[in-house]
Amino acid sequence: MNWTMKSVTFALSFALGGGVFAAAVPAGVKLSDKQEMIRNNGAEVETLDPHLAESVGANNITRDLFEGLTTSDNEGRLHPGVALSWKQTDPTTWVFTLRKDAKFSNGDPITAADFVYGWQRFLDPKLASQYGTAYGIFVLNGLEVAEGKKAPLTLGIKAVDKYTLEVKTPNPISYLPSVLSNSQFAPVHKATVDKFGKDWTKPGNMVGNGAYVLKDWKVNSKIVIEKNPQYWDAKKTVLTKVTYLPVEAGNAELKLYQSGNNDFVYQLPAGQYEKLKKDFPKEIQNGPILGLRYYSLNNKDPMMKDVRVRKALSMVLDRDILAQKVTADGQIPVYGVTVKGLEGADVTTYDWVKWPMAKRVEEAKKLLAEAGVKPGAKIKFTYNTDDYHKKMALFASSEWKTKLGLNTELDSLEFKVLLKKRHDGDFQIARNGWLADYNDATTFLTLVQCGSSQNDNANCNKKAEELIKQGNDQQDAAKRKDLLTQAAKLIMDDYPMIPLLQYTLPRLVKPYVGGYSTKNPADRYLSKEFYIIKQ
Amino acid sequence: MWIYTFRRILATIPTMLAVITVCYLLLHLTPGGPFDSERKVSDAVLANLQAKYHLDLPLWQQYLYYLKGLLQGDLGASFRYADWSVNDLVAAALPVSLTIGGGAILLSIIIGVGLGITAALKQNSFIDYFVMLIGNIGSTIPSFVLGPVLILVFAIWIPVLPAGGWNEFDLRFIVLPLSLLTFINVSTIARVMRGSLIEVMSSNFIRTARAKGLPLKTIVFRHALKPALLPVVSVLGPLAISSITAAVVTESVFSLPGIGKLIVNGASNRDYTLVLGLVVLVTVVAVLLNLLVDLAYALLDPKIRY
Repeated sequence: MNWTMKSVTFALSFALGGGVFAAAVPAGVKLSDKQEMIRNNGAEVETLDPHLAESVGANNITRDLFEGLTTSDNEGRLHPGVALSWKQTDPTTWVFTLRKDAKFSNGDPITAADFVYGWQRFLDPKLASQYGTAYGIFVLNGLEVAEGKKAPLTLGIKAVDKYTLEVKTPNPISYLPSVLSNSQFAPVHKATVDKFGKDWTKPGNMVGNGAYVLKDWKVNSKIVIEKNPQYWDAKKTVLTKVTYLPVEAGNAELKLYQSGNNDFVYQLPAGQYEKLKKDFPKEIQNGPILGLRYYSLNNKDPMMKDVRVRKALSMVLDRDILAQKVTADGQIPVYGVTVKGLEGADVTTYDWVKWPMAKRVEEAKKLLAEAGVKPGAKIKFTYNTDDYHKKMALFASSEWKTKLGLNTELDSLEFKVLLKKRHDGDFQIARNGWLADYNDATTFLTLVQCGSSQNDNANCNKKAEELIKQGNDQQDAAKRKDLLTQAAKLIMDDYPMIPLLQYTLPRLVKPYVGGYSTKNPADRYLSKEFYIIKQ
Repeated sequence: MWIYTFRRILATIPTMLAVITVCYLLLHLTPGGPFDSERKVSDAVLANLQAKYHLDLPLWQQYLYYLKGLLQGDLGASFRYADWSVNDLVAAALPVSLTIGGGAILLSIIIGVGLGITAALKQNSFIDYFVMLIGNIGSTIPSFVLGPVLILVFAIWIPVLPAGGWNEFDLRFIVLPLSLLTFINVSTIARVMRGSLIEVMSSNFIRTARAKGLPLKTIVFRHALKPALLPVVSVLGPLAISSITAAVVTESVFSLPGIGKLIVNGASNRDYTLVLGLVVLVTVVAVLLNLLVDLAYALLDPKIRY
């Protein structure tokens, strides 16, 4: 059958013996005798339970401690994890064959039943995982289970035998293996969870199946993990110990790096990229990731509900100046809801992007006049207190003032207050941003889809919605991509939001740390792929 | 003295209850809840989370529930850090803050009183000017400036100490934050001690002692020091309490896992139980410190007991 021919069968690198993953040390590189690394991880993690992990920081560590059916390398490429291979046997059925040498850190073998238990636990609303409804949509009945409308036992996952797992999806999802690399879909050791309750994630109690085991966890101080000898690819895991630091203050982090107490800066302090690029030319790393900075426009606001106003506000913002002079840290101007490197849809743009700014301003003024907005009119911009966001907000307000004569009232709020106002629709224009959960266009389309809980703009384009539905039912990847790209363009022609920049992650990595890549769109770095070079 | 002590302890109970109640109400009145995040949670998950933390109950019932736990020594479950109770978090952070804050207070009393006495006795000398200079620097340069300077000098330019972090088994991690907090406190204590001793030394009873031909050492340590210490004791309470505020900055500069960092994280995450637990802790410490100061005052000046 057509779909069988096009099913994704993963032979990947198996010719080389079932796994070339883990650290790929180039020939000629001499390794240090001491394979230990210290990497900063931003804020203290909220949990080490993979099914409850929500923040980027927590997921960074749970990916080291737990492994799902699939995983991705430090360049973002998909690899087998506990599953040795997989195939789509019909449009909504996937069969995964598990490797027989995968074990939990206590030596217990990992079977298909462990995944059934893990996924049912993850989506059970009693656990109250904040990712439940976001990821529930990928498994048959998953959303209903996460919302408490169906029992966890009805979930579309079945252990066919000890090492064969069948997963049913509500619609054809060609990128399912990519989604399953998230540690929310990892198995957990039932006996340990039952024995220790919420304390199962503590050092000494935790049983995982990742390349590392938890050795020490001192809140706000450090999390130490050590190589897991039971891991199926332990022979190729080079680092023996990794210390995660929870340092939020950028300057404090930089000082730790400069003094040799940190090998991997999580994120540079705002405004220092150019200087640090000169000071540490061999250590600075910067690459685009699947993230979008944008301004939400409240499409229900009396002024913003007029598409001409929204278009005018978007047209006059010079993203090139914003990227090069204001944020000045390598970010890329964006005009659509999708970003470069994203699977499932192409980047869209507007015709006026190529116009000279004077023509854009002229057109924007005309649109405002047609909408009855006169120079001197007031608009309110809400952002969360942060120098970086403030700088961008000042730039935007200056653009709107000098080019359109609009007066912007800047409203700086604490982050939690901004989140509440945004979700409640209590704003006119608000700072916003999104990092992809997985590499597919659907993660970004949730920002502009009808009724989506992530759609703070409250816009809705029914025609585009239909195209997205058609795309998601489509078996042909090229046709699907075409449909989703069309949908994204159609939505953006309504100007529901103002896309600004694609995120990059400028950071410093010590020259003796091997295995780092700037080609990782998901910004997910597994410690098992790093190694320390002899100096 | 015992009755005085008992009376003072009793008076702390309504103070603490008032602080907890006000803080409780303020936290619940603050816009933005503990489960507001970039990813809007579904109604079902929100309902489960609220039930888990008793947020589905009327506010007064939640309050009574909290007080009941508090009386049993249970500060509740953290809203943000799912794997830890507030008791766990406080127990982990307290030793760090006590080591740095308590150590700084002790050191600054010893050094500050010593410097203050020396400056007072050598008034208008080089030593006096030096102590005053230290005092002025300590009270004018904020810790968020002085801290990074210390790191720059002793961790980056002359790499002899770590730039931050914490290791309870390695004293090197303590040196810089302890020095910073001590320096700030010393400046206050030394200035107060100097002024107070100069004033006492010009009193009539000291003049009499001098006229009797007593040696300076005896005059200072037997007659002048006790009354001169009164103003120093009175600043110790507020100073110790302000050390908690200073710890927020110090812990951020040196990436220390203490109470200050927890307070900031708790407040920004709307972690009600964590913030309340820390407020209870800080209130208890503040009340105890004030009590100690009052008792020390009563010991130094018996008139106060009555």
